[in-house]
Amino acid sequence: MDINEMKKDKATVITIEGRLDSSTSGILEKKLLSLMDTGEKNFLLDFSGMDYISSAGLRVLLMVAKKSKTAKGKVLLSALTDNVKEVFDIAGFTDIFTIFATAEEALKDF
Amino acid sequence: MIKTEQLCKRYGSLTVLKDVSTEISKGEIISIIGPSGTGKSTFLRCLNLLEKPSGGSIYINNVDLLAKDTDVPKIRQKTGMVFQSFNLYAHLSVLENLTLGPVKLLGKSKAEANQKSLELLKLVGLAEKAHSFPDELSGGQKQRVAIARCLAMEPEVILFDEPTSALDPTMVSEVLAVIRRLAKAGMTMLVVTHEMEFARNISTRVFYMDEGIIYEEGTPEQIFENPQREKTRAFINRVRSFNYHIDNPNYDLYAMNAEIEAFCEKHLLPPRVCDHILLLVEETLLLQTDFSDISLNLAYFEKTGHLEFRCEAAGEPVNPLAEGVQSDDIGLKLIQSRIEDSQYRYENHKNMLFFKVKSE
Repeated sequence: MDINEMKKDKATVITIEGRLDSSTSGILEKKLLSLMDTGEKNFLLDFSGMDYISSAGLRVLLMVAKKSKTAKGKVLLSALTDNVKEVFDIAGFTDIFTIFATAEEALKDF
Repeated sequence: MIKTEQLCKRYGSLTVLKDVSTEISKGEIISIIGPSGTGKSTFLRCLNLLEKPSGGSIYINNVDLLAKDTDVPKIRQKTGMVFQSFNLYAHLSVLENLTLGPVKLLGKSKAEANQKSLELLKLVGLAEKAHSFPDELSGGQKQRVAIARCLAMEPEVILFDEPTSALDPTMVSEVLAVIRRLAKAGMTMLVVTHEMEFARNISTRVFYMDEGIIYEEGTPEQIFENPQREKTRAFINRVRSFNYHIDNPNYDLYAMNAEIEAFCEKHLLPPRVCDHILLLVEETLLLQTDFSDISLNLAYFEKTGHLEFRCEAAGEPVNPLAEGVQSDDIGLKLIQSRIEDSQYRYENHKNMLFFKVKSE
């Protein structure tokens, strides 16, 4: 898995490529927590290059959404691939998160 | 009629038959099935002493075959054998192949032997080949002659050792038809065969041999429709298995995934099914707390196309699927979406989870 971060306007865009699973979710968690420690509270997680997510990845998303909400920020998601969208639907995460078709669209919402 | 007790056969350090104990009554038709090298043919060959057993006993009509004073040639006459490779005398005509034994060993007159042999050739549909030589016959015809020759010795039981394995597929049915006819006539038979439909239709009992024993036996319905033991099920359903062992929490997820993907590819499972399996396996491992000894098994039933996944984890008894055990239900929801059925058992200090994987 590759993680790229980029500051855009009010949000930090995190692009994830590859698999977000029990082996890699810890890396994402660490990355997001360190960004939050520096005061970031708005995140756009772009999943256009992510083809797999397991519950380990979903838990990290849940954690960051809660922390961000406490800090009065928000976490938006964009460009879910079919596999990832299916897992979101099954886990009920499509109702928890605001999901956009593209990163550009999502950025307008911050 | 035939009884074996703790029959065993070893070749040096190799034990082919470990402990075969069984009883076969007159008129029974026993099909012996199982993977290669599990002692099926050796068992038959021991029954007429083509192989000398290393231990145990064989009784035919209550006569101990292995007793020193037993008239072995006389007993052997009662147990005819049909081989995979026919074993006809190439320099003798078909009729002479049939009459040789009755004249030399049963003391019959040539005329009597000829008449009986012609009747038998008629029975196997080869009366017009009486004066042909084996080389002039097809494989199926040779095997029918071999069966007729066996019958000429008036056996009480016939042992068939893979009678159709050396035949062209087009000739299998003619030989099986002859065996069927003998079955209808009440002949006691033991047939080592790979022809499962034949075994299912003709047998009164089926022996599944594995590990040098009769691993499971039953009626054809029991063995083919509802085998009870693991190896029988695997054989009947043509199960392909994948096994993986984990002994620490920092197991290599990607090495395991690569092996699962290779397994799926090898058995032509669609990529979507493979994705389902990868998620199911990862989610199942995420439910575990003790990683000291985890065995994973994925079984693909080629015959039916269904998949089963099993996870056995050492540790204190806890059903990870039970309500309230996990801190959230995300993993359980994902697992549920990938399976048709699940079971939990605690056995031999192991938490065992069984899943039937959704095929679509």
